Amino acid sequence: METRQLSAPMTAAWPWISTVARAGLAAVFLTAGLLKVDDLAASGRAVNAYRLFSYDTAKVIGAVQPFLEIALGLLLLIGLAVRLSAAIAALLLVIFIAGIVSAWARGLQIDCGCFSKGGDLAAGRTAEYGREILRDVGFLVLAGILLVKPRTRFSLDGLLMGER
Amino acid sequence: MSKSQRDRAAARKIVEQQKAAAKRRRVTIWTSVAVVAVLVIAGLIGFGVYANQSKTTASKVVTPSVAVDSGTAFAVGTGPVTIDLYEDFMCPICHQFEIDSGATINQLVADKKVTVRYHTVAILDDSSQGTKYSTRAAGAAAEAAQEGKFTEYHDVLYANQPEENSSGLTDAKLIELGKSVGVGDTFAAAVNNKTYDPWVATVTETFAARGFNGTPTIVVNGKQLTGANGGVPSHDQLSQAVAAAAG
Repeated sequence: METRQLSAPMTAAWPWISTVARAGLAAVFLTAGLLKVDDLAASGRAVNAYRLFSYDTAKVIGAVQPFLEIALGLLLLIGLAVRLSAAIAALLLVIFIAGIVSAWARGLQIDCGCFSKGGDLAAGRTAEYGREILRDVGFLVLAGILLVKPRTRFSLDGLLMGER
Repeated sequence: MSKSQRDRAAARKIVEQQKAAAKRRRVTIWTSVAVVAVLVIAGLIGFGVYANQSKTTASKVVTPSVAVDSGTAFAVGTGPVTIDLYEDFMCPICHQFEIDSGATINQLVADKKVTVRYHTVAILDDSSQGTKYSTRAAGAAAEAAQEGKFTEYHDVLYANQPEENSSGLTDAKLIELGKSVGVGDTFAAAVNNKTYDPWVATVTETFAARGFNGTPTIVVNGKQLTGANGGVPSHDQLSQAVAAAAG
């Protein structure tokens, strides 16, 4: 009985914590997408800078990615199928982190292009892979919270389920 | 409450729970389908927008008739060794490279040792507060090349290089600088009409397709030349590379 009483406030708090995580993750993806969507050629060059794909493939990825990020951001914002949206967000973040790690391992000097058009760094500037990875891991934690506790306030899910 | 009443109440409760569970399942399935559909559509829109943009840009491209290397560069000099220079007019490191190696390059050209191919790429359009200075400057340089003043205009643009992340030089200033090197009304019209701006995207595209990502990129007879720690080579390294390439 003791533990139940202690955990009761926590049970009430989770939907709010998840709501904050959802809003944060939505903002991350919307920002990342909107910063790239106005110049798709540059976005393609940012992907190409990782030297993982042929230039033609990189161009397509670079063109599609900002739109996916914006769509995912909007889905998280309205809270539709939050667990699935969070899972897709987590998958994307894992791919981004893997890309940065691989660039780091190969000693490339590039801007990750996470929130910019990316590309090679100018001489004299050093890549900040550690910080970029740490930031993405932070976002991954947000997605993780939603995966475990997908119930949030002000979500379309809640509305459809008939919750209040 | 009789036993049968209790049983009925319990049965009703179970049915209600089952109904609620079924509803949750339905909602979960359909919202998931909706999410996947939205993402697929977003991806297709992205691809469509990109394909459309490429086509529109391609249809507007006016290739300067004096351009070499499939119309993506301006050649200076007639020497046997080819130096390919990929530069962005907004790039401060390109300016430093020009300050350090400009005289060496001019000398090599004068001695008929090298042909320099200037590729005026625009990868820093983002760094001029939306005015796309890199593209505008490169487009203006293309018209200067058409009028036989590429080197002069190239040099005056670097001498007047705006700060990175400023709004860049205005079109009026680009025209004024043109006048200072002897190109006039035709030049002004080309700058104002942005005649060669779509072509600059082709130059940048060729640069990226060749696997280059940063400016300045210096290539001597097909071999990329880098300085210490992958940085920009000094004028000495450049002269040595040219001498080595000449055999």
